[in-house]
Amino acid sequence: MSHRDQIFQGILKALTPLPERAAYPDYDTAATTTPRWLPAAEDNETLFRQRLTGTGGFFFESPADCAAWLKKDGAKSVYLAPQVAHLAAEFAAHLEVVAEYTRDAVDRIDAAVTVADGAIAESGTVILTDSGTPDRLAALAPWWHIAVVPRPTLVRTIGEAIAAFPADPGIVWITGPSKTADVEGILIQGVHGPGRQGSFFI
Amino acid sequence: MAHQKIDTYAATLDPEVRQAVRSNSAAGTEKRYQILGADFGDPDPLRKLAGAIKQHTIEHLDQYLEQAERSLTANGVKVHFAVSTQDARQAVLDILNQTGCRKVVKSKSMISEEIHLNDFLEEHGLESVETDLGEYIVQIDHDHPSHIVKPILHKNRRDIAKSFEREGLGDYNDDPETITRRARAFLRQKYLQADAAVTGANFVVAESGRMVLVTNEGNSRFCLAGTRVHIALIGVEKLVPHDRDLAVFLNLLARSATGQQLTVYTEFLSGAALSARPSGPREMHVVFVDNGRVDTLASNCREILRCIRCGACMNVCPVYRQASGHAYRSIYPGPLGAVLSPMLAGKNFSQLGDLPKASSLCGACNEVCPVDIPIPDLLLKLRNRAKEEHLPSPGTPPMAPFAMLATAPMLWRTAMHAGVALDLTPKNLIPVPALQEWLKIRTLPAWRGGKFRSWYKHRPAKGKDRQP
Repeated sequence: MSHRDQIFQGILKALTPLPERAAYPDYDTAATTTPRWLPAAEDNETLFRQRLTGTGGFFFESPADCAAWLKKDGAKSVYLAPQVAHLAAEFAAHLEVVAEYTRDAVDRIDAAVTVADGAIAESGTVILTDSGTPDRLAALAPWWHIAVVPRPTLVRTIGEAIAAFPADPGIVWITGPSKTADVEGILIQGVHGPGRQGSFFI
Repeated sequence: MAHQKIDTYAATLDPEVRQAVRSNSAAGTEKRYQILGADFGDPDPLRKLAGAIKQHTIEHLDQYLEQAERSLTANGVKVHFAVSTQDARQAVLDILNQTGCRKVVKSKSMISEEIHLNDFLEEHGLESVETDLGEYIVQIDHDHPSHIVKPILHKNRRDIAKSFEREGLGDYNDDPETITRRARAFLRQKYLQADAAVTGANFVVAESGRMVLVTNEGNSRFCLAGTRVHIALIGVEKLVPHDRDLAVFLNLLARSATGQQLTVYTEFLSGAALSARPSGPREMHVVFVDNGRVDTLASNCREILRCIRCGACMNVCPVYRQASGHAYRSIYPGPLGAVLSPMLAGKNFSQLGDLPKASSLCGACNEVCPVDIPIPDLLLKLRNRAKEEHLPSPGTPPMAPFAMLATAPMLWRTAMHAGVALDLTPKNLIPVPALQEWLKIRTLPAWRGGKFRSWYKHRPAKGKDRQP
C-alpha cells in the first residue's frame, strides 16, 4: 500500500467512530478579527504611517525625502525597480542609481526601491508579489528596502487584504524590518533581510 | 524518595539558565497579554473561534487533506506522503537526488527536528544549513532547541560568542548585534550557493493550496529567493479550510508567540516562483508527514492536533519555567510537548509517559492557547493511559498496602485503632523513606483514625437527640 493510501485509510479509521463531527463555525471576519481601537482610528493613510513607524519602519513624505534620508543613513547606491525609474532624478541627487539588479549585486547595492502591490493600514504592512517585484532578492538582500505604496492599493485590515489576495504564486507581507530576539531576548534589526524598511506613497 | 525525571533534570539546571528561561518566558507571556488585551479586550471569542475551526478541520481531515492535495497539484506543486520518520527523510533525499541538489538551506521547521533531517542529509553527503539564527547556533553546537519559537532560550551571549569563535566566524565577541551581523554575512552566502530550500509551513489552505510561512528574520524568504527547489515538510494536521480563515489565525499566531500583531515576513505561496522572475524556486514539493499524527487523531487526545506552534503554553507554564525545554527529553517541550510528545512516540509511549505528570494542572496553558486546546484534560487522559499501561510512577508511594486495607473492613478497623501508636512514636524513627521525605516539609497531625466509626456506633438512636 502506498504511503498516501496508508495515511488516508488511517484517517478514515480514526474518524469513522466519531458519533458526530464538529461543524464549521459560522463567523464574520470583520466582527471577530478587527482590533477594538480600529473603528475610531485615523484614515488609512495616517494609520499606515503610524503603524509602519510602530514596527520600526520609516515613512517618507516624498521620494526626495526618502533619497535624502538614505544618504544620511549611510547608503551609497540604490536600485530602482522599473516602475519607479521615473524617480531616478530625485535619487541620483544623493546616491548612485542602479537600474538592474543581478545576483552578484547582493552585497554591492546598498538600497532598493520596489513597488508594493498593496499595503495594510492596521498593521503597517506592505504587500509584495512576484509579478510586481523584478527580483525577490532585490527586496530582501539590501540593508535599506523602500516599498513604494500606490495610494489606491491601501486596505484597512488584514481580513480585507486576505479577501483580495492577488493571483500570484509568491505573495509576501512585510511588516517592518527583519528582526530577531534569539540572543538573550534582545531585539536586533536586520538579520537576513533589510535592517531598514521604509515606504512612501505615490 | 525517587523523583520524576523532569524534576531530576530541573534540579541539575544551571541557575543562570533557569533564570534566563524563567525571565524570557515570563516576558513572552506578558507581551502576549498586553497586545491581546489592547487589541481585543477579551481574546476568548477569537481563541474559541480558532479552536472551533481547527477542530472542524481535523475532524474532516479525510476531506481537507484530499482537497489540499488537489489544490496543490493544480498549483503545480508535487505532493508526496510519508508515514514514518524514515519515510519522510527518504522522501526529502529522493527529491534532492532526483533534482541534482547537493546543498540545502533550511528554514526553521519543528517537523524536520522530529525526523532529525540535518543529520540524515549529512550522513548522505549533503550539506544542510539551518538559517534561523537560533537554529543555526543549535546546529553548530550539536544541540537541540529548548523552545519551539525561541530555540536558544537556554543559551547566553557568551556561549554563542564561543561557538562563533570555534566555527571561525571571527574573534570572540559577545555583542548580540555583532553576533547577528556575522551570521548575516555568513548565511547569505549559503542561501546563494544552495540548490534547495527545506521549510515547514504554518498553514496550508485546503481550498486554494496556499501555503503560509512566517518568519521574523526573513530567512525563509531568503531560502526561497536563493534556491531552485523548494521542499516543504508539513504535518497532515496543518490544514485550514479556507483563505478567509487565515485572518483568524494570523491575528492570533504572532500575538500569542511573540507579542507582535504580525510576524515580519508572512509568505503566501501557491506554487513555484513566477517563471519570468530570476529568483525563486522553479519547482515546489510538499511532503505531508504523518509520523504519529494519524494515531493521535484516532486517540482521545486529538484536540492537540489543533496546535499552531506559538509557544504561549510553554511561556506561561510554571513547570517549563523551572525545568526548561530540554527537561522534556523530546522535540516539543512544555504543556504542548507533555501531550504531543508521548502521543507522537507511538509504540514508545512508555518512554515519555511520565511527561503528563509534570503539571500542576493549573490550566494556564489552556487559558493562553490561541486554539483553546484543553491541555489539562488531555494530560489527565494521558496519566490515565500511563496507569492503565502500568508505567512506573516515581514519587508516587505504592498503593497496594492501602488497597489491601481499604478492601478488608476488619483490617481497616484494626489499623485505624492501631494508628494511634503513631502519636507515641518519634517520627524520625519511622523507617519509611517516602514518609521521611514528606516530613521534611510537612508536619503530621495527631492521629484521629477510627473516631468517626466510634461516633457512628454510639450515636443516639434516631429522634432522641432532637429537641422538641
